[in-house]
Amino acid sequence: MSSKVYIAGVGVISAIGNNVAEHLTAFEKEAAGMGDITMLDTIHKGELPVAEVKLTDAELVTMTGLTTHNSRTTLLSLVAAKEALADAGIPELGGFRTGFVSANTVGGMDKSEDFFIDFLADNNKGKLRNVFDHECGSMTEIVADQVGIRDFMTTISTACSSSANAIFYGARLIKNDVLDVVIAGGADALTKFTLNGFNTLMILDKQFCKPFDEHREGLNLGEGAGYLVLVSDTVMKTLNKEAYCTISGYNNSNDAYHQTASSPDGTGSYLAMKGALAKSGLQPADIDYINLHGTGTPNNDSAEGTAIKRVFDPHYPPMSSTKSYTGHTLGASGGVEAVFSVLAIRHGIIYPNLRFETRMNELPFEPETKFLKGQNIKNVMSNSFGFGGNCTSLIFSGV
Amino acid sequence: MLAKKHITSSCTISGGAVFKNGKPLFENKEEDISAFLLSVYQHFQLSYPKFYKMDNLCKLGWLAAEILLKDTFNKEKYKPEEVGLVLANKNSSLDDDLKYWDSVKDGASPSLFVYTLPNIVIGEICIRNNFKGEHTFYIQEEFDTGFTEKQVNYLLDSNILQACICGWVDVLEQEYKASLFLVEKEPDGYSIEFSAENMNNCKA
Repeated sequence: MSSKVYIAGVGVISAIGNNVAEHLTAFEKEAAGMGDITMLDTIHKGELPVAEVKLTDAELVTMTGLTTHNSRTTLLSLVAAKEALADAGIPELGGFRTGFVSANTVGGMDKSEDFFIDFLADNNKGKLRNVFDHECGSMTEIVADQVGIRDFMTTISTACSSSANAIFYGARLIKNDVLDVVIAGGADALTKFTLNGFNTLMILDKQFCKPFDEHREGLNLGEGAGYLVLVSDTVMKTLNKEAYCTISGYNNSNDAYHQTASSPDGTGSYLAMKGALAKSGLQPADIDYINLHGTGTPNNDSAEGTAIKRVFDPHYPPMSSTKSYTGHTLGASGGVEAVFSVLAIRHGIIYPNLRFETRMNELPFEPETKFLKGQNIKNVMSNSFGFGGNCTSLIFSGV
Repeated sequence: MLAKKHITSSCTISGGAVFKNGKPLFENKEEDISAFLLSVYQHFQLSYPKFYKMDNLCKLGWLAAEILLKDTFNKEKYKPEEVGLVLANKNSSLDDDLKYWDSVKDGASPSLFVYTLPNIVIGEICIRNNFKGEHTFYIQEEFDTGFTEKQVNYLLDSNILQACICGWVDVLEQEYKASLFLVEKEPDGYSIEFSAENMNNCKA
């Protein structure tokens, strides 16, 4: 049993950058990734802003060496997973029990949608070989194959907490001595399916989103991928580098309230934060930064804010929603934001919550609005709350 | 030899009538399904405002579970994690899917959209009763009682659950049928043996 689970590598791609370095630059420049839809073929073009990764499928294919058959979800996943693994720099990877725990919610829906248009018009059109591998698990299998992981792989799909649960599960696999190294996180590409679904729920903002603002009107969808390389203490000792940090706490609790909304008092998110703190042995006052779920919908931010009040009152750590940069990357968000949380500890930075103007009436606190450097950040909480009431909090702690 | 299990309660709602443990409790030959379901809710004097928001599949399954458990089920015997559900139907959430699709023409309805999954009915029953055990929803051409028997036996024999509600909840437009069974390890006053055959006999 490994006493600690270390983060040895990170990789990320989103609307604000194609790798970790580009993200750090974008954060400091306060350069948000939203804009008019340019790549997704949809009737909402010019009407709903989204946060697209600034690479076409063709460019991603060139970058990854995959084929045009592969879903954008797979392409994004491979870019970030490769970066994380290279960053970890584990020389004898083949000598360890290695796993890939990857999350997503849309699978290859982008390619299914291409197929479907012709097929619907004439069901003699289209080849089955173009749709056989679009389920969520296929994304994981293709990427695991590309990075040479054969010992263990699994896919987690629990809506917007998917990737956080993948990291949670990866940490437990190491803690219980099932594996030595786990690449954990997730990916999701923008699709008509998700854009139309969220539009039906009437929770998309037609402007750039304003998380935790009194006048917030909804979320902007984004896309991307984010992975951590988790390693046991045995593996960490073999590396010629310092760990970024450890994962010290995690909890998953269900709100059991509504299919697509959080309970007004944020019961699930409250239990998740409390449980993660208990697991890490930390007090609320030990948390130096909270990376909020902060989607920008009236319901999420009010429920999450209420839950934070219940846990942290009266001493609130700095907090912000990086979805104000990346949009809501759904199944990828837990992984993308875990990378940001780890980087906050490594570089002593706190990310600004862009476009925040007015404190919410019901809350006695507000998010950080400036990019802060040189901070002493030891413990970071990362929140990911999904539909179905699936709430997860992770805590990362400096070594 | 695996331990015997017992159907300690059953409820069928079909053809304008409600049966518990084979006995008719209520009848209303109202043709419209929505009006019929409301009359069941009112007859049994149930009070759960969320009922009015549900789609017909959830209303039907939720009502059947209420009547199944009413007066006879001792919730205190089990931890929330020890009670689960195994349900099946033929038409998935198609009844609500069609209504949702209709609504798309003049602005898709969020309240219909959230019911466009069949397993939401399980969620509604779990939220009502604070059940937190394993649960699954299967789509089958017709109620495969042999399959359900195997699934429930597995869950109870391997102590994943101590009690399980299983059965059939199906709605498509004006056609509906629910047959739910409460399966426990200990018999009680009413109980009959848990088997595919006994489920077949009850479901009629």
